[in-house]
Amino acid sequence: MTEVVINENDGAEEAHDKREFILTVEGLNKSFDGFKVINDLNLYIDRGELRTIIGPNGAGKSTFLDLITGRTRPDSGTIEFGPDHSIKLDHMREYEINRLGISRKFQTPSVYSHHSVYENLMMSLNRDRGVFATLFYRESAADKARIHEILETIRMVDQGDRVAGSLSHGQKQWLEIGMLLAQDPKLLLVDEPAAGMTDEETERTGELLLSLAGDHSLIVIEHDMDFVRQIATTVTVLHQGSILREGTIDQIQADQKVVEVYLGRQHSRDEEDAS
Amino acid sequence: MPLRKTICWVLLVLLGIAPYAAQADEDAARAILTEAILASSNDQVALVEELAATGETEIVTNYLEAWKRGDIYIFDPESKRIPIYVPEDEDAPALRSAIVVETGEVLVNELGEPVTVDPENLDQARPARKARKLFSRLTDLVGLNSANPDVRAESALKLGLKQNQDYLRDLLALKETEKDPAVLEALEEGIAVSHLAHGSREELMAAIATLEKMNSLAGLSALGNLKAELDEGQTELEFNADERAALDKTIESINSYLAKIDFIGTCFRGLSLGAVLVIVALGLAITFGLMGVINMAHGEMIAVGAYSAFLSQQFFASIIDSSKLALETYFLFAIPFSFVTAALAGLILERSVIQFLYKRPLESLLATWGISLILQQGFRLVFGAANRQVNSPSWLLGNIEILDITFGYNRIFVIFFAVIIVVGTWLLMTRTPLGLSIRAVMQDPEMASAMGIRIDRTRMITFAFGSGLAGLAGVFLSQIGSVGSNLGQSYIVDSFMVVVVGGVGNILGTVLSALGIGVTDQALQPALGPVMGRITVLVIIIIFLQWKPGGLFPSRSRSLD
Amino acid sequence: MKFSEDQRRLIGIALTAGVMFLLPALNVTMTPESFLHVSDFQLNLWGKYLCYAALAISLNMLWGYTGLLCLGQSLFFALGGYALGMHLMLMIGEEGAYKSELPDFMVFMGYTELPSHWVPFYSIWVAVAAVILVPGILALVFGFLAFRARIKGVYFAIITQALTYAACLLFFRNEFTFGGNNGFTDFKTVLGHDVFDPGTQRGLYLLTAMYVTSCMLFNWWLLRTKFGRIQQAIRDSENRVRFSGYSTTSYKLFIFVVSGIMAGIVGALYIPQVGIINPEEMRPSKSLEIVVWVAVGGRATIVGPVIGAVFVNWLKSYTTYHYPDYWLIILGALFVFVVLFMPNGIVGLPAQLRELWKKNQHRFKSMPKDEPASA
Repeated sequence: MTEVVINENDGAEEAHDKREFILTVEGLNKSFDGFKVINDLNLYIDRGELRTIIGPNGAGKSTFLDLITGRTRPDSGTIEFGPDHSIKLDHMREYEINRLGISRKFQTPSVYSHHSVYENLMMSLNRDRGVFATLFYRESAADKARIHEILETIRMVDQGDRVAGSLSHGQKQWLEIGMLLAQDPKLLLVDEPAAGMTDEETERTGELLLSLAGDHSLIVIEHDMDFVRQIATTVTVLHQGSILREGTIDQIQADQKVVEVYLGRQHSRDEEDAS
Repeated sequence: MPLRKTICWVLLVLLGIAPYAAQADEDAARAILTEAILASSNDQVALVEELAATGETEIVTNYLEAWKRGDIYIFDPESKRIPIYVPEDEDAPALRSAIVVETGEVLVNELGEPVTVDPENLDQARPARKARKLFSRLTDLVGLNSANPDVRAESALKLGLKQNQDYLRDLLALKETEKDPAVLEALEEGIAVSHLAHGSREELMAAIATLEKMNSLAGLSALGNLKAELDEGQTELEFNADERAALDKTIESINSYLAKIDFIGTCFRGLSLGAVLVIVALGLAITFGLMGVINMAHGEMIAVGAYSAFLSQQFFASIIDSSKLALETYFLFAIPFSFVTAALAGLILERSVIQFLYKRPLESLLATWGISLILQQGFRLVFGAANRQVNSPSWLLGNIEILDITFGYNRIFVIFFAVIIVVGTWLLMTRTPLGLSIRAVMQDPEMASAMGIRIDRTRMITFAFGSGLAGLAGVFLSQIGSVGSNLGQSYIVDSFMVVVVGGVGNILGTVLSALGIGVTDQALQPALGPVMGRITVLVIIIIFLQWKPGGLFPSRSRSLD
Repeated sequence: MKFSEDQRRLIGIALTAGVMFLLPALNVTMTPESFLHVSDFQLNLWGKYLCYAALAISLNMLWGYTGLLCLGQSLFFALGGYALGMHLMLMIGEEGAYKSELPDFMVFMGYTELPSHWVPFYSIWVAVAAVILVPGILALVFGFLAFRARIKGVYFAIITQALTYAACLLFFRNEFTFGGNNGFTDFKTVLGHDVFDPGTQRGLYLLTAMYVTSCMLFNWWLLRTKFGRIQQAIRDSENRVRFSGYSTTSYKLFIFVVSGIMAGIVGALYIPQVGIINPEEMRPSKSLEIVVWVAVGGRATIVGPVIGAVFVNWLKSYTTYHYPDYWLIILGALFVFVVLFMPNGIVGLPAQLRELWKKNQHRFKSMPKDEPASA
């Protein structure tokens, strides 16, 4: 672990000044009932970057997203948003964090199942979200156009009137990504987007995410290594609440330690026996 | 029926019967009394004094009073003069039954049939003037002669508090001969209080010191009076600064002792209320953890338990000839019986309605409320609208006094029983395979089912168990008040609160929150009165939930909603 | 002809309103001998039912559309009733049993002068303001605390029930200056009109019917707005709404306050028609009864609560008269039945029956195939 950090620090001095971080996480800690889920975590996301986070079950991936989005509060450490580190997320409420431009897709697709696809997107649009604003909201032509655009992006143009609850699992995933897009986010947090999708759907999801990078910053959590290979630029491996490795997908897949963590102790012991 | 007889005998032996020795003393006293009533006025004084010396408090006070009032008559069939007691009663018919003074039994003729008399036609027995003067003094003092040390001690203190110079002499006299330490202590306290009014200066100061040493609550008002008299100059006494300080210090020290006792008493009452709440809420907490919803019919399960106690009382009264024996024993039967009936009721409820609603928690709240309405009205139709009385066995009625604090047996029993129930439930939940399945089903029914646990059966048993606990609560509530169809309703809101504050399906949380709510309630009641106390508790709970919305021990889940 | 859902809702409202306004028309135009005549007594009874209907609508806003099971609705209702009741009590003047300026219960309890918080209620406007503000402010404060702490689901139901229970205990106390367990009664006039005059009662009925209609229209309008959609989204997936940048706390608070005020106004319409208000009206069990009305009529529908409230209360009048001992059993059984077998209430019954028919048809067709297999 230290090796990687040193490697990064080598040329980091000058790079640090140039790079614009959209998310800065430092010294983050969180424990549940005495069990450390996040352990002194440091993570920096560049503007426009697509970062993939992988790690075995219980590595703290979802908790990490919970901490960013304000669903749980950190025990210690800072989460800062924006290039000038001016916005501290650790004590803001969920909706305030979302309004800053941080949107999250949940692991199990979470859409409004009693509303139509169109309404789902309409409610997600980045407009004034106060009580009275929604009471007297009138849909403008621009809003309609924007929703239509998103429908095209997620390839659901002819599904606008369908009730979201009747969609297939993969379609729900796409709709949720569409709802994220409607929010015009700066940073997207995407939790296992390919789960429950066919190979073709998975590939299309990958293309969609890649097309978003650049304009948006993305953090994608995923298990499917083919999918990761398709989208990944930088991969971060999380293990027991801290960063184990950071690098390109090839570096990561070749790393002995990562393989060990993923495949368990048994594997490494077998190897020892063999040698 | 041999079985019935055997049971009766065994129980009689177990319980023990009235002590015969005491009976003999009473008979002696009655003989002297009879003699005194029939004696010439000259002999009466001596006989009455002899009577007082027996120390038979009850007979002396009751009969001397009656004699003075003129309720004692002479019944003389065939010139045999029998003193009888005919209680005065304005509504009573002219002809009524009487009690023979010598035996204490109802007056009968040779055939053993009760005889009624008309007081108008009888000779009234009037005590002689000289003897009558003695009566009030004798009735006051008789307790000092009692064979029972408790009565002696009580009477010594009571006489002392009268601050009467004559009685002070009697107390001092008794002190010379008394051996019993408890009585000696009461004497000392009584004498000290009397000395406050009649003692010499040295005796007075010694009395103040004694009262302080004894933390005498009884002496507190006498000390207060003394202080007031000194302040207002109503007495010739003049205290110097030291003496005055001693007096103030004594009053203060007794007051702080009183506060301490009050505190312990409040804690005890709070604890016993909390114990009732624990029993009521524990079952609720279990079904809550199981269903994710409050069972609104839980209150009616309590009522089922209470009515079962009533039924077992009626049943015992009908099979056991001795009503006293039935009263002493039915309760032991009522406890398991109530548990079983309530558990059965719960089982039926679960099978008929609740099993279909595990996936729709809020609706099961509404359906159980519907059931609670049906049951309440059902109770009214079966048992009548009026409340039914369930009598407590005598061993739950008394109380024990330790260090001036009164501990009621029923309260002690409730605490003791709550501990057993909590420990039993805890063991069941943590140490048995059944408990393991229950906890598994509570946490994740689907996973539990996948692991081969029969969730249907587990839910059924758990629900029946929770309802059975409610039945047990019903038995205790039947001892505190009368049994009516609304019995459960008055406790149900409180137990909702207990469960919500404690956290979902958590035994420790339930116990802590029940005790907390019980003690807070009792602590607030003296200052605010029962209703405002209740309201304050509710407000405190609402504020508490601001701080800890999931209760003391919230359950955590990783899914989104 | 095919109507959109929005249009169907409007038609439902129009039909309901039509029936409501037909009754007073029948009361005035028909002669007492006529089969269609509605007597003054019946009209008054229907006025009471309509109050309950409005109360059910207010609960449906919370429970049906926002997923908040509130058991404090009877409290808001009673508070509105008490607020107007104070004015009505003062308007009795010296015509009370004790011929005193003070309300009878105060004379009875030995008051010598009017408590200072009663004095402003000589003005009808103060009373009307209180009808709106007292339930509104209570809902605002309590709702703020509850929603901020994210109390929801069963917990919300229980805590609102506790609030109602506490208030009920408070109003039962004589010292609370609201008449203790007897409450307010023996009103003589309302806005200068004799309460017992059939004309006054007819006027109050019309007012109630208009109120119910406007409540339904408000509900209809709300469903069309983005707010209405978010309201239902909160019911289905509150976290998703929160993570979409909406402060669900404000949304819930808004609808809670609106619903509280709606219930308060019903209370004010109720008491001149019924002539009495006492703490019985705010018992927690009354709140549960309102839940029954909504569930029986049909949750999350506009006319459902109205139909449910009228049906259940008509049933109540009928059974308490003919079978007084069995009313509670019938109510309880009805509730269990509706929860178990009619999750969409009376309004959802046609759809449910259609569904059932379809299913059975299918089964009927597939039966011959099954039989040889089992044999």
